[in-house]
Amino acid sequence: MTSPALTVRTLTPEQHLDFLRTWTADGGSASFLQTPAWGTVKSEWRRESIGWYDPSGRLVGAGLVLYRQLPKVKRYLAYLPEGPVLDWDAEDLRVYLNPMVRHLKKAGAFGVRMGPPVVTRRWDAAAVKQGVADASVRRLGDVPPSERSQAGARVVSQLQELGWRPQQVEGGFAAGQPQYNFQIPLRDAGGAARTGEDVLAGMNQQWRRNIKKAAKAGVEVTHGTPADLPAFHELYALTAERDHFTPRPLSYFQTMFSALLAEEPDRIRLYLARHEGDLVAATVWVRVGGHTWYSYGASSTEKRDVRGSNAVQWAMISDSLAAGADVYDLRGITDTLDPDDSHVGLIQFKVGTGGEAVEYAGEWDLPLNPVVYKAFSLYMSRR
Amino acid sequence: MPLTLYVDGPRWRTHLQAVRDAHPGIVPVVKGNGYGFGVERLAARAAWLGVDTVAVGMYHEVTPVAAAFHGTVMVLSPWRPFETHVVFDSHVVHTVGRLEDLRALAERAAGSGAKPRVVLERLTSMRRHGFSARDLREAAGLVEGLAVEGVAVHLPISQGSHLTEVNRLMTDVVAAGLATHRVFVSHLTDTELGVLRQSYPDYEFRPRIGTQLWLGDRSALEVRSTVLDVHPVERGDVYGYRSRTAPAAGTILVVSGGTAHGIGLEAPTGGATLKDRAARIAKGGLDAAGFVRSPYTVDGKQRLFAEPPHMQASMLFLSHGAKVPAVGDEVDVRVRFTATTFDQTIISD
Repeated sequence: MTSPALTVRTLTPEQHLDFLRTWTADGGSASFLQTPAWGTVKSEWRRESIGWYDPSGRLVGAGLVLYRQLPKVKRYLAYLPEGPVLDWDAEDLRVYLNPMVRHLKKAGAFGVRMGPPVVTRRWDAAAVKQGVADASVRRLGDVPPSERSQAGARVVSQLQELGWRPQQVEGGFAAGQPQYNFQIPLRDAGGAARTGEDVLAGMNQQWRRNIKKAAKAGVEVTHGTPADLPAFHELYALTAERDHFTPRPLSYFQTMFSALLAEEPDRIRLYLARHEGDLVAATVWVRVGGHTWYSYGASSTEKRDVRGSNAVQWAMISDSLAAGADVYDLRGITDTLDPDDSHVGLIQFKVGTGGEAVEYAGEWDLPLNPVVYKAFSLYMSRR
Repeated sequence: MPLTLYVDGPRWRTHLQAVRDAHPGIVPVVKGNGYGFGVERLAARAAWLGVDTVAVGMYHEVTPVAAAFHGTVMVLSPWRPFETHVVFDSHVVHTVGRLEDLRALAERAAGSGAKPRVVLERLTSMRRHGFSARDLREAAGLVEGLAVEGVAVHLPISQGSHLTEVNRLMTDVVAAGLATHRVFVSHLTDTELGVLRQSYPDYEFRPRIGTQLWLGDRSALEVRSTVLDVHPVERGDVYGYRSRTAPAAGTILVVSGGTAHGIGLEAPTGGATLKDRAARIAKGGLDAAGFVRSPYTVDGKQRLFAEPPHMQASMLFLSHGAKVPAVGDEVDVRVRFTATTFDQTIISD
């Protein structure tokens, strides 16, 4: 098993973007956290686009690296959120990982953190629902998966072998990207695009009823422009207060929109659901190739009965279908199925869409300087 | 007169059934000295329990076991190319843990027309035998011509939980993409096995159990030795092969059970705490003084060997004042079942 040696070099944002365009055009998937534009959103960190070249000079992989500096020390954690983008089915991942690690070490990294975009298990809506109903089931892992991925296991098995350490996410959202996500596949098993009716039929009765109810009540969903962001943000801040999470500032969304829109005209959209002129729900939609995401959401406390949230979701799903997307991603869920856990409501809302819970390989660390890495872990645990 | 293993039959059989019922898919281990019962007896007992597979330790144990048990016999020692007999017997399952062995077995099978049955062992933290994760993935591609019955995972008897390790090993098993979804496990607690079955409902777990099954209910088992002779001695009297002198007045007791039975041959016990080690050093101290504590209990006290055990009998020193048993009486003796050969085993109906 001799594989050609790959070399890792810095890419310009243009080279990086070109690679992602080719990659997704060929049916590959890439997270929006791996676009060069995302690096400019995370402006507080040094960023670098890196690429893997094969001996013939062909670009075969790319990654967005965010360098997070350790306080007071000129050493960095090199972080590749939901990446890098490469052939994770490779028999021997050392071919990719070794040159990457060498490159990052030279750049001053004391450790590398990455989130291989690799699925390890899937649970269809029926399995998740059954798990929530079963009192003895506390976590998603207690439910038989509808699919267990050999390719995903091969990645995890190799990372273990190569000394990478899994970052635990048990029992809630960890600091990093979620390991469990909820997605609606927009293609059937044969790869053919599903119809809107088909997706709608997969939803539970309550979802279907609410979507109908919103239409009947006259809820109107429109695409906003960056000029509508203050309105979105006002609603989002109210939602944060109601649901007890810390909101991001308006400027964050403004930066996000300008950066992502500059990269691709249809990379990011703002959706606004209005009822008789009142904004009742607003969401942010992102797309890279065949993958679309519901990224941020807000809803009003008044007029809940007009079901703005369901209406705006349905609009995003329909638009994703129309755009020929492969998957609509409702992003993170926790792995809890405990009815007493506050996170379970989020899952139940997402499960109603008839999609599936998807487990990814999770985030993995490779300490390069054990002493500094240990200091960093200690610092993180005390934060 | 013999060293006897007395078994409370009803109690023992009830225990065996209980362990079987609590462990679906159990594979009784019947290796070595048959845990004191003998492999043939355990093989017959396994047949009585109605299991489909038993495990033996070595290849030479296959024949005696197969005489009493007509199901599958799994050999726990890894197959090596120098193994010549029972390679192609259809009731035998081989354990393979090296790529070169797998290739050699497949090659040999190709010439024979037979399809040897194998389990692939994944190396655990025990580091005894088995494939690394990478080798297991490669092994999956080398099994043409072999019937893969499952993967084996032999865990250490550890203090903490095995689950982290087992989950890691299971990921390697999934990654190998074998056609079989059966995993043979050793030394998992019932709780651990339950958790594992819940998170891998698409896999079949078969626990290999020996000690817990055959020796799990110690109260059903009693070992007694027969008093063969009794000699009162005064201080200074000479006795024994080595013409020792008695340190005080008392009795020399000759009892059945010697080195041929495994008596007085001390295998290090599993205990590894400081206290265990201190106890062993203390015993060594007794040794230096000329007397070693014996496993025999007479008149409620564990007695000292008067001299090292002989081949088939032992001499004990009974100090003055102790109640002296008569010739033909039986005394209790504590043994390590896996290292003892009994003259007879009496199982009550």
